[in-house]
Order: sequence, then structure tokens, then C-alpha cells
Amino acid sequence: MSAEFELTRNITIGQYLPTGSIIHRLDPRFKLAAFVILILAIAVCNTYIGNIFAIIMCVWLFQISKIPIHYGISGINPAIPFIIILAILQLLFYGGIANGGAVYFEYGFIKITSESIRLVLVSAMRFVEVIFLSSVLTLSTSTTELTHGMERLLGPLEKIKFPVHAFALIITIAIRFVPTFAMEMEKMMKAQASRGADFGTGEWWRIVQRTKDMFPIIIPLFNVALARAEDLILAMEARCYIPGAARTRFAHYKAAGKDYVAIVLSVVISAVMLGIPW
Amino acid sequence: MEKGLTVRRIVIAGVLGAIAILLGVTRLGYIPVPTAAGNATILHIPAVIGGIMEGWGVGMIIGLIFGVSSFLNATVPLFKDPLVAILPRLFIGVTAYLTYVGLKNVNQYVAIGVAGFVGSMTNTLLVLGMAVIRGYMAAGVAATVAITSGLPEAIVSVIVTLAVVAAWKKLGTSGKQKSKISGDL
Amino acid sequence: MTQPIVDIRNLSHIYMQGTPLEHRALDDVTLQVAEGECMAVIGHTGSGKSTLIQHLNGLIRPQSGTVIINGLDVSQPKVDIKSLRRQVGLVFQNPEDQLFEKLVGDDVAYGPFKMGLPLEEVRRRVHWAMELVGLSFQEMKDRPTFALSGGQKRKVALAGVLALQPKVLVLDEPTAGLDPLSRKELLERIRHLNREENLTVIFVSHNMEEVAQLADRVYVMANGKAVCDGSPRQIFGNEELLRQHHIGTPESVDILYRLRTEGYSINPESYLPEEAACEILKILKR
Repeated sequence: MSAEFELTRNITIGQYLPTGSIIHRLDPRFKLAAFVILILAIAVCNTYIGNIFAIIMCVWLFQISKIPIHYGISGINPAIPFIIILAILQLLFYGGIANGGAVYFEYGFIKITSESIRLVLVSAMRFVEVIFLSSVLTLSTSTTELTHGMERLLGPLEKIKFPVHAFALIITIAIRFVPTFAMEMEKMMKAQASRGADFGTGEWWRIVQRTKDMFPIIIPLFNVALARAEDLILAMEARCYIPGAARTRFAHYKAAGKDYVAIVLSVVISAVMLGIPW
Repeated sequence: MEKGLTVRRIVIAGVLGAIAILLGVTRLGYIPVPTAAGNATILHIPAVIGGIMEGWGVGMIIGLIFGVSSFLNATVPLFKDPLVAILPRLFIGVTAYLTYVGLKNVNQYVAIGVAGFVGSMTNTLLVLGMAVIRGYMAAGVAATVAITSGLPEAIVSVIVTLAVVAAWKKLGTSGKQKSKISGDL
Repeated sequence: MTQPIVDIRNLSHIYMQGTPLEHRALDDVTLQVAEGECMAVIGHTGSGKSTLIQHLNGLIRPQSGTVIINGLDVSQPKVDIKSLRRQVGLVFQNPEDQLFEKLVGDDVAYGPFKMGLPLEEVRRRVHWAMELVGLSFQEMKDRPTFALSGGQKRKVALAGVLALQPKVLVLDEPTAGLDPLSRKELLERIRHLNREENLTVIFVSHNMEEVAQLADRVYVMANGKAVCDGSPRQIFGNEELLRQHHIGTPESVDILYRLRTEGYSINPESYLPEEAACEILKILKR
């Protein structure tokens, strides 16, 4: 009950868990690149063995990064009901669309085939893999490192006039302001509750009314955010910030052997996942 | 309008991106109105507003931030697929911007409202379309969701976008409007 | 003795209990405020002031200890929280941020409408509240909120809370960030509410001039505990106490203490500017 308004304390993004493992010490550029390679491979791979192999690889990643695996599992738990419902729906209705494969069961429009079973199992496994992999990445990399890594990785895009630095700055600003706005929002909710606000008590079919019930929080939130933006714009312009101007870097990264090994490994793992034909 | 990413655009994109992330990690991003999911999301609205206020580039970047945050926070397999969670979101701010630019000479209010509607529908249709292509959903189910969730969400989006952008652009209220408590005592 | 309108006993509050980030914000706080009193709560950032005042209208429920407001026991899970929030009006820091309606009158009317009052009554209350904070009802009710100055916005926000017609008004740093003129005016309004409208006022402040000017009683907090509770005369007159808890002092008190250190015989309890002036005159006349 007393936690009704405690937003700021429940937000976990970029929950960094420093264990000092070799994964933590990887150059963020290379770590991010390896992560992207693996995510893409997972998104494409639709074989049983390939996905089992990917799950084993994820568990192994938890081990070498010295992160307790329950951090990854806690990301899956809340999703189990959805996975089951989705699995049932796919099983019942997808058979008619996913052509090919042996038909195991058919009744009216319900048709269960080996292809629809594969779809169900593979998408469940894929989900587990992505949760595990992104947990390892965010638990082993601070948000600063992530932004730096991303900025450098996108570096080559500068050649085609993509504003890499500005882009990284936008991400930094966004991440930086989340806790600030969370506090503002908490204050706003408390202040409006003190004025007798209650949220979402209009009749449920009155969409407009329900939406307007949220105005006391949403409108001030946007207003405060945009006002903060104006302050920041003024502050940056006063300090002569010029987008796209050449600037020196504070953090320097130097790739070592382990970083190249990480990239090679991720390519090899992806190749194995995609190469397995079953 | 100035071209490229000015300081203003960088900051507005960052700040609205922060709101997109924040709405996603709190229950505030979901308004309890009747849809298939039990609520209408307003997570895409920062992208719509960014597009209207600062152009398609800003709208696209906020969409990207929204997409990545929804990808990282997802608890359903559907949104743990970057092609569903991230890619469609890039276009929310772009279509909203194009709609706004196309209509703004007709009437500011109409332009903002319709942009809110189009941005929201872009989100619904592209996400569902991708879900069908990627095999998470049958086309019939997707069409039902598009109507039962997409339309209420679009209505919510119109209301919120209008309120925020009109207040920020200081539109209207030129002494003509009266408060609810006005009138003869 | 009559029942105090705010009666807090042995209140403790721990944030994030059971995690490594556990933080004890309130530790066995006991506080009574009588009806019609004006009480200042002072203390450094993180001393538990905000946590304390959020208990007063049930935004935070007591974890241990009791909070009784005008006979309503907030520790009871079934307490009528809406009725509680009507009795205790809470004005947050920078309340002007919370305005959301397009027009001033609508924003002030938000609370009364939420109470389900008939239009006539809402209008009467909005009129009353706006005039009370010094905004002309006729002139201001149809103005757009975004066109107001910071000081005016704050008045609108204050009127929005007053329109609930609370018995107790709680303010968190009511004058922070205002220009000197608006600050002075707002303080006069608050004093008027307390003295003429007989509202019980509890306010948090870092500005000791303000505390000296307004408060009947001062409640000093440090690390979640109450360190002392007394009239401004007792608190500002006790140099030992002030030094021990790093409590700032009004300019006038500062001068008196410095004179005393120089060896003049003066009474440092004369904390009001007029009294301090008299003390200084006494020295000069000798």
C-alpha cells in the first residue's frame, strides 16, 4: 500500500552488476558487436538443435560472466503465462498457414502439423535466448559503456553523413533523464492524489473520459520535460555546443586479444546455429 | 526550418525518448480502456509528438528509443523479436510528421489530431503486420486486434497529442474559451 | 486539554525494507499540532521532513506507530483516505508544475469537482479560494494557465488545494524559487489563512527568516529523528542547540549573537527584527 507511489524505486534499466569477469572487461564496442551478431543469428535460426545449442551457449555466458543465472530466469518467469497462451493459439490456428510437414491432428479449422509444433517450440526457445543474452549484456555493461560502444560502432556511418555523435548524445540524454522524470512523475501523482484525483474510475467504455482522467499526470509530465529541454538547449548553446563539430574523447578504448576472440567466437557460434539443418 | 540535427532537435529527441522509456517501465503508459489487451498504450505518443514538433528525424529516433526499450522490457515473445519490437516503431514519428506537414495549412488542430491518429495507426498496423510475417499471429487474429485495440489506441493518441502539443505551442484560448465554472451566479 | 488536530506517535518509516538499499527515513517521531497552530518543520535535506509530511494525508501509510488526523486513524487500513485528503491539503514543492487544465478556473475547480460537489458549490469554493490567494475570480478564471507568471501559477496551485477547504494546510517549501516580492506576498497570504481563517498550518522551510516570521512552533529534525520542538524564541535563543544541529539562524539572531560574543549584554531570544532592533538600540543608548 505504501508503495503505491514509489515509482523511482521500482525502475530497473541497465541494472549493472559488477563482478569484474572477463565479460565485464571486454571492450564495449566489441561486446556490443558480438551481441548484435548473436541476436541476429537467434532471430533467423529456426531449427531445434540450433536453438538448444544457443541456450547452452547463453548458460555458459552466465557462468563466465559470474552472474547468477537467476537474474536471467527472473526475466522469464512473468512471461510464462503469455508463452503458454501464445503456444496454444499458434498450435491451434497456425497449422493451416504453416504449410508443409506431417499433419498430426485435424479437426475443423484446427490443424496441428510438425511445422506448427516447431514454430511453437522455436519461438519459446528464442524468447529465452534473447532474455538471457540481453540480461548478460546489461548486467555486465554500464550504460555509459553501452553508449560509448554504440557511438564507436556506428562510427563508420559518419561517412554516409549519419550523425553518429548526435545520435549517441540523444541516447545519453534520454537515459540520463529517465530517473529525473520518474521523480517528477511520482511527485505529480502524489500532488494530484492530494487534490482528490483517482485514475481510471470513469465508466470503462468511455474512452475519452478515461484518457482525460490521466491528464493531471500526463500533461504536466510533458510540460515539465519540454521545459527542462528548453533549459538544456539554452545551457548547451551558451557553452557553444556545435552538433557535429570535431571533439576529443574522454574515454579511450583499446582492443585486446580477448576482444577479437569474442567476435570470432560469436561468428563461429552463429555459423554453427545456422549451419545445423535440423 | 533548419536542416540536420540542431541542438534543439538533439535535446528534444533525448527528452521525449526519456519519456518513452519511462512510460514503458511504469503503468502510466497504459490507459485502461476497452481493447483486446485491456488497455491502450500511449508509449508511441512521444514519437508522434517529436515528429510533429521537430520533424521526421527526431520522430524516428524517438521511435527507435521506444522500440529498443520495448524490446528490452518485453515479457512476451512477440516483442522479444527485434523485427517486431523495433523496426515498425521507426516509422511512427515519420508518418505523424508527414501528416502534420500536409495538413498544417488547413488547420493546426486538425493537423495535430490527424497526425496523432496516423502515428498511432502506423504503430498498430506495422507491428501487427510484422507479427503476421514473423509467424506469431494468424492474419485473421491480427485484423481483429487492429480493430479492437488499434482504434481505441488511435483515439487516445489523438486526445493526448492534441492536449500536449496545443498546450506547448500555446494554441488557441484567445479569450474566447470560458472555464466550466464561468457563467452567471 | 483539547485533542490535537494532528497526533503522531512513535512513527517510523523505512524505505526499501529488506534490501541492501534500506534507508530509515523516520525513527520514532512523535508530534502533536493543535488546531489553529502554525508549525514549521526544519532540518537538513534527507532528515525525513518530506516523508513526515506525506504521512499527514495518507500518501505514505505508517509502517509502525500511529498517525491520527482530526480523529481519523491513518494506520487503519480501512480509513476513508478521500475524506482524509479533504481535511489535509498538501502543497508540494514547486506546485505550479502540477497545473494541467487550460484555464485557471478549471484547474482550481479540479479538486472540488472530484469531490462530486454541485456546480454552485464548486463555483463558490473556487471564488473563495482564488480571492484568498489574491487572484481576482472575475478577472483570472478564464485566463489560460500557461500565460501566467511563476508567482501567479503558484497561487493558482495553492488555490487548487485550498478549494478542498482543508482543516490543515501542509506546505513543502512554499516560497522556494520565488522572487522577493512574490515571496513576501505569499507569506502574508499564509499568515492570513492561519490567523484569520483559522487554518492549521504546517510548513517545511529552509528559510529561517520565514520560520521566525510565521511559526508559532518549530520542530527540528535530523536523521529521521526529532531533535527539538519549541517556540522560535526557545529555539533561536539557544545557541548551544543551534550550533549542535547546524541550524541556520535569521539575520537578526545572527547579529545578536555576534554582539554577545563581542561582550555586549543582550537577550538573544529577541528573534523578531523589531525586537532585535530594540535590543541593539538599548546598547547604543548606554
